[in-house]
Amino acid sequence: MAQKIVIDPVTRVEGHGKVTIQLDENNRVSDAKFHIVEFRGFERFIQGHPYWEAPVMVQRLCGICPVSHHLAAAKAIDQIVGINPEDLSIPAQKIRKLLHFGQVFQSHALHFFYLASPDLLFGAESDPLKRNVVGVAMAFPELAKKGILMRKFGQEIIKLTAGKRIHGIATTPGGVHKNIQAKEREYFLDGKEIPNIHTMIEWSLEIIEFIKQYHLDHKDFLDSFAAYPSGHLGLVNKENGFLELYDGNLRAIDAEGNITLNDIPCDDYNEYFYENVKKWTYLKFPYLKHLGREKGWNRVGPLARLNVCEGIETPYAHQEWLDFRAATNHKTNNRTMHTHWARLIEILYCAEMIKSLLEDDDLLSTDLVRKGNRRKEGIGIIEAPRGTLIHHYEVDNQDRITRCNLIVSTTHNNEPMNHAVKWVADHVLDGKTKITEGMKNQVEVAIRAYDPCLSCATHAMGQMPLNIQLRDYKGQLIDEHISS
Amino acid sequence: MNNSINLSIDGKKVNAVKGMNLIDVAKDNGIEIPTLCYFKKLNPLATCRICTVSVNGRNTTGCTVKVEDNMVVNVHTPELTANRKAIIEMLYAEGNHFCPSCEKSGNCEMQNWGYRMGVTNTRYPHVFRNKKVDFTPHRMIMESNRCILCKRCVEEIKTHDGKNVFAFVKRGKNTLVQIDYKEERKLNENEALHAMNICPVGAILVKGIADNKPFGERKYDFLNQQVKTSLKNKKIALPKGEKFVVATTSLAGCFGCHMSLLDIDTELLDMLEIVEFNKSPLTDIKKFSKQCHIGLIEGGCANNENVHILREFRKKCDILISFGECAVMGGIPAMRNFVPLQECLEEAYLNGLTSELGADIIPAHKDIPKLLNKVYPCNEVVEIDYYIPGCPPNAQHIWKVVKSILLGKEIPIAHEEFKYD
Repeated sequence: MAQKIVIDPVTRVEGHGKVTIQLDENNRVSDAKFHIVEFRGFERFIQGHPYWEAPVMVQRLCGICPVSHHLAAAKAIDQIVGINPEDLSIPAQKIRKLLHFGQVFQSHALHFFYLASPDLLFGAESDPLKRNVVGVAMAFPELAKKGILMRKFGQEIIKLTAGKRIHGIATTPGGVHKNIQAKEREYFLDGKEIPNIHTMIEWSLEIIEFIKQYHLDHKDFLDSFAAYPSGHLGLVNKENGFLELYDGNLRAIDAEGNITLNDIPCDDYNEYFYENVKKWTYLKFPYLKHLGREKGWNRVGPLARLNVCEGIETPYAHQEWLDFRAATNHKTNNRTMHTHWARLIEILYCAEMIKSLLEDDDLLSTDLVRKGNRRKEGIGIIEAPRGTLIHHYEVDNQDRITRCNLIVSTTHNNEPMNHAVKWVADHVLDGKTKITEGMKNQVEVAIRAYDPCLSCATHAMGQMPLNIQLRDYKGQLIDEHISS
Repeated sequence: MNNSINLSIDGKKVNAVKGMNLIDVAKDNGIEIPTLCYFKKLNPLATCRICTVSVNGRNTTGCTVKVEDNMVVNVHTPELTANRKAIIEMLYAEGNHFCPSCEKSGNCEMQNWGYRMGVTNTRYPHVFRNKKVDFTPHRMIMESNRCILCKRCVEEIKTHDGKNVFAFVKRGKNTLVQIDYKEERKLNENEALHAMNICPVGAILVKGIADNKPFGERKYDFLNQQVKTSLKNKKIALPKGEKFVVATTSLAGCFGCHMSLLDIDTELLDMLEIVEFNKSPLTDIKKFSKQCHIGLIEGGCANNENVHILREFRKKCDILISFGECAVMGGIPAMRNFVPLQECLEEAYLNGLTSELGADIIPAHKDIPKLLNKVYPCNEVVEIDYYIPGCPPNAQHIWKVVKSILLGKEIPIAHEEFKYD
């Protein structure tokens, strides 16, 4: 009999999402959609504000990754005052990078320990009342404690550079707000009040061991669940094509690893991307113009970044990257669940980078701000934890923002997440007469691998409840699970 | 003739020189009368009214009082304190005082009095009026949405040749401060900065001055004071062996308040011994499975789904707390209240820099919620019991309020934890 399955809200993600899956009269999946139900209107209401307010306002797009927006906007505003990323003073670049690595570290730790781990530790079909961070804290207290302290470490790095853990202010047009004092960095090195950076590196390695073992124990599941071919997009280092989170060139590859976007400078992004709009979701669908809507979409985020890069500049993370690549015989990795593994390698990379920055005396410098010649337009592109983030502003000669374009990381993952939902619908719900809670959670497990930031993505504030609706082949609602 | 006189202020016997301003006399004797428009150099403006005190039994503005012998002055009575708080709340409701992105935040006199009076929210409906923001002057920006019409700038700022730069124009609730462009050009950078500094709020800005001191180093970041939550609910009876039940949701919020909730780090493990989470984005409990003691609401109402969820929370939770700037005041999402919704949608979906050629679809579908034409703070939709301001609120602040309510015991909040930005 035909039905409509609804999952609403998708939980343990940031933001609101709703899934509707339509089954025909033979219980075959005829449609599956991931609706994003939030909209805020950022690109319009920021117009008329003075340009220096942008980094402070736009970070309120998201409470998990405000720093990503703060830095991307700051890079764009730097250009407005005539400063390109390489023109910043060296200390300012390093302080910004310290902030960025700190935030990627905490965001990834949050996602893995607080949001994703319940599915991995208890199983996708386990008791929903326990399948959350509280359950993990009860059943695996040592692991939970490490996760909490890793997130704390990252948050404290953010507080050091931005003044507050969430929605701080670290940047000023052309530079940074303040330097680091010698005694401030001791806090992260001496291990007295919080576990120090060496412990962070140690724990990052431990958790990667955990996921590698998990992979061996659950190989079929991790290799095949929600896996499908796709393009991949990310920044790479301008010199050597290595993993790059702060400033690089745009590279994209197809599912087999052929280059589709050949290290394009960030300032040219506009020539390559369109965003498609659909009626049934507030989230747009970006794609590469020259490949078209059907083939031009790309995954972004840890899996994509480890696919497009040619290596990692820090020793431990590079070694782990080699092991990761070996799992697919050094071919492009399209296995969605491996994103968790990729994410943990990035945690390690960030920890190693934080260590070398903390030991760098350039942080103490007072050479923090540069000035240049005013321009009308500024573009800032950065790798947020969840993927490539694009900020673009136009400013008039009275200092007002006149135009704003934001392509936020998770927006690129809109099409991929819809594919993931369809995959689970086809492989898990297709042909079944009874839909269980565990099956529906599997849809969410596929979505969670992307660590979506749905508020960011729709420049909308608010939550999208995740609704899974089951409709018959006539489109009539048969069954609906609305969680609200 | 001897000009020395005696008066009493809040019961304290005080000696002063006859004819001195009451504000100054009180301050010299350790009693601070709240003021916003008072500026020592100028004749009293008496525009803001928060210095209202009782003199010899009659309420009057303290700044217009010249002290006389045997005056009996009362400053901190419950009624006067409540009136002052109401005035601050009215000011917040009337303008667009979004502290998180304001250049003056941390150095703002209005914000400071809000903190000192323990103002957590405004009981008045937010007006969301769209006043002009004037970018035309040479060095300055006049942000009329933040202006409280104190008149300091009008009276104080003059060019080197004695001409006025600022003036009140129009009347009644349409009154604005207008900058004289010709005269303003004569001001040098220091004079412009002086104007920005004497403004008690963030209405006068000097172009290009994006900097503020870092958090913790601003003028009003630290004060040796505490704020009380003022519990008003009955003590919660909890059967032995059970935990308090807390539900949370993020409506039109960025999730930052939820992240701040987690920012007590390992203390969370201690809290979990007495608290369990029910419906929340952090758990997979998608429908309320029981009545909850407390509901924490992040985010205001931007679409019909938000309203529906908020109303459900009101039913299923004994106590509702709005936490965060968005839930309390509307926040960033409410910035779209100044722009027609149609324009916001068109900019995002039709006219964007990366919109497809000939793009003509704006999302609208039965499976996605309908947007409200305005974003509303939660207390304009349902009754809210407590408010925790901040963007996001300080983690300690959140849990102190929650614990105070659950355990029935006031835990004071330190001034540095009580912030609007």
